Amino acid sequence: MLQFVPCFTGPTHKQESPTVLQEDSAGLYKVEIRGTGFKRILSHWRAKRWDGWSWYQLAKRADSLATAQNRSAGLLAVEHLQERWAQTGVVPYEHQIRTAERVIHEMQGQAILADEVGLGKTIEAGLILKEYILRGLAKKVLILTPASLVWQWYHELYEKFGITAGIQRTQWDWQFADILIASIDTAKREPHASIVSSLIYDLVIVDEAHKLKNSSTASYRFVNSIQKKYCLMLTATPVQNDLKELYNLIGLIKPGQLGSYQSFKARFMEDKRTPKNPTELRKLLDQVMIRNRRDEGQVRFTARIVHPLVISLDPKEQDIYNRVTEFVKAQGRRTGLSNMLPLITLQREVCSSFLATALTLEKMMGNMQGPELEQAAALLKNLAEVKQNSKCDALERLVSQIDDKAIIFTEYKASQEYIRYRLEKAGYRTLAFDGSLSRGKKQWVRHMFQREAQFLVSTESGGEGLNFQFCNQVINYDLPWNPMRLEQRIGRVHRLGQTRDVHIYNLITKGTVEEHIMYLLHQKINMFESIIGELDAILLHLNLGKSFESELMKIFLEHERSDRIKESLDQIAEQILQGRAEIEASSWEGLL
Amino acid sequence: MEIRRGVWQVRADDALMKELDGWRSQGRLLQFTFDRGLASAYGADLIGPGSYRLNTLLNLIRRQGVLSQAHIPHHFFYEPNIRRKVVTSSSSGERAYVLTSSSLYGQYLQLELLAEARGLQKKESLHTVTVNLSSGEILKFPLPAHLIQGGGVDPALVVKRKCSLKNAYLSAAAHVAGAIAEQGQEWAQEALESMAAETEKLNAFFQGRSDSAEYEAKLQELQRRMQPVLAIDAVRGAVIYAPLFRYRLVVVDAQARERTKTVTYDPIANLHELDQ
Repeated sequence: MLQFVPCFTGPTHKQESPTVLQEDSAGLYKVEIRGTGFKRILSHWRAKRWDGWSWYQLAKRADSLATAQNRSAGLLAVEHLQERWAQTGVVPYEHQIRTAERVIHEMQGQAILADEVGLGKTIEAGLILKEYILRGLAKKVLILTPASLVWQWYHELYEKFGITAGIQRTQWDWQFADILIASIDTAKREPHASIVSSLIYDLVIVDEAHKLKNSSTASYRFVNSIQKKYCLMLTATPVQNDLKELYNLIGLIKPGQLGSYQSFKARFMEDKRTPKNPTELRKLLDQVMIRNRRDEGQVRFTARIVHPLVISLDPKEQDIYNRVTEFVKAQGRRTGLSNMLPLITLQREVCSSFLATALTLEKMMGNMQGPELEQAAALLKNLAEVKQNSKCDALERLVSQIDDKAIIFTEYKASQEYIRYRLEKAGYRTLAFDGSLSRGKKQWVRHMFQREAQFLVSTESGGEGLNFQFCNQVINYDLPWNPMRLEQRIGRVHRLGQTRDVHIYNLITKGTVEEHIMYLLHQKINMFESIIGELDAILLHLNLGKSFESELMKIFLEHERSDRIKESLDQIAEQILQGRAEIEASSWEGLL
Repeated sequence: MEIRRGVWQVRADDALMKELDGWRSQGRLLQFTFDRGLASAYGADLIGPGSYRLNTLLNLIRRQGVLSQAHIPHHFFYEPNIRRKVVTSSSSGERAYVLTSSSLYGQYLQLELLAEARGLQKKESLHTVTVNLSSGEILKFPLPAHLIQGGGVDPALVVKRKCSLKNAYLSAAAHVAGAIAEQGQEWAQEALESMAAETEKLNAFFQGRSDSAEYEAKLQELQRRMQPVLAIDAVRGAVIYAPLFRYRLVVVDAQARERTKTVTYDPIANLHELDQ
């Protein structure tokens, strides 16, 4: 009978380097005789702590098994992640696995991952990271991303690869977290930059690496100063306007790969936009850069079919909508644009449900006084009096026509509860899905939705990576103002593994701000049918990621007339289309 | 117990679950299966290459058995034969007879060593090496596993070791390094060639600036990545007490002169050792 001996070896936060007892040179290589394991044995000896012989033999067998697993010629990560991927519905593309294998086996962990938008560079980087961790080659890892992508990286690594990374908040985190995600803009500033430069990293991943195209910038110099063993640069646009950008980027990974700048210019540049000897240059690039393209046919998605459903509010509802909008505008004018978040919320909620609006208004009233408070109280009373809900009536009509499972997305918990109340009352089985559920409960809700319920009413658009490909109907009860969130909602069902076309129903209330949002997203930038991931890339390219909602709110506050609002939205759309064109123009046909 | 075909159930107590899944876990019934289909159908933990549960179990087991002890009992060896062998081993013309005899134990240190050959890739291998702590020599053959029994012996019967544990470990590691060197050095050759090519590129890039700190840093980066290294570390060890037979002999030479001598016989190494 084996007697179990508890060890309670928790995670360590210290960066441990192995003690080397003796270092020799055996011909071509160094021999390190390490003392870490031996010291452990010695401490047991001194403490007369003898483990059972059966445990010893069993542990030896486990060592053999673990070592045998590590000897696999392919990617260990693929085997290790199969279970997790089956749960979360991740199906890695062949090109992603191939890329990871090439980076590890041929490029010695030094590569630019330059796939076109939507082909999953993050997945490739995650796979490489996981592989290095499993092989014991990477322990100290730094991931540098734009601030807006920090959380996205955190979630992706956890959900798809089971890697729990830290998010940098204080200057102590650099040293103590083994795997750290940080905003590159924070990292390059002092005191952080000096701390980072003093550490030795096994792997550094830089997302949106095209921001390092200029070698005279602080970001470039900072990344260049980091001491690293392996380095991955992620960008869809390794070169945009000038071949020197590509040269600089490669200089970060492998200085000298393209020779000195003078020789590079002489050998490979006709002018700054025209490469000379492209075949030879491509050969050199192939050693450090991998670019997968959409037209190579690795990725096939089913179609997205968009159904805009315009709903007219009844006069009472329209009146209360107008009064809330007026209230928001008055507040906006009074407090200025600095404190916009509660106003954005209120303006968005009034398009979703009056119940949600009332709850937010009630909260806001805590900070009000005088005539402002009286106005809010009157508004609250009116909101409570409205019994009609045209949008929910329209939803009921819509669901009666859908003979299939559907996910209904709303931004607000109050709306979620109201929708469920109405649908349950109408005899439908519904389930609620939101961010407060634990991972296990989310899994259970997903399971119940697949087996039992017809409708899932969700307030969470993305993040948890759960697989809902068995459903192909998405109803946007209200529209998030941030197109990235909208993309995440649709991405829940429209992902690899979806075999049917995806129907997207957008409920838009006429004469409200939703109409304008729909105008921008659907009519102007054709967001619903764009390539997956493209909009993210464009907004990041334009530095519009997080500020997009504020930009919209500014427009709605500044302009009264509908035609002026449209004009301003046209300008934003123009900017986005231009960004898209810039990204497409940077394909450098024949070279990349 | 097998609760349904292909699915086994065991009760894991709090301590075990904490070791497996972290300090917040509590004891529960664990269900195992080796079949991917059954795992998803019944929610049982899959045991298979790379599966979460197999890895947690392997990790837990690998944390156990750091240092163990075992012995080979004397009765596995037929003492009268050994006695005869010792008595008849005297030089010609001499006769010997046993004055006193005792059964003792010698100490062997069995080490499991992990060798990591890091060149362009990393290759791991496990080696079991046994060191005789009396002589410091590496045993050419493993101790016969079927003779070894768990547990220690009476310390009074153990012969004092002459070789320190550190020296034993160092010579075991050197032995492994030698064995790996004999297998070929292509992995190191390949890494060195790649490193030379990369260094050449680096030198061209930093032409005229090769004394800069940046060049030095990049060179170090390159070495960290490509310099071939063979790292050897101990994973676990066991002290194995092997029988020794000690005889105090009276030796009578051709002139009928008597003298006494003490001989220790090690049946594992098949060696006589003259103690005085």
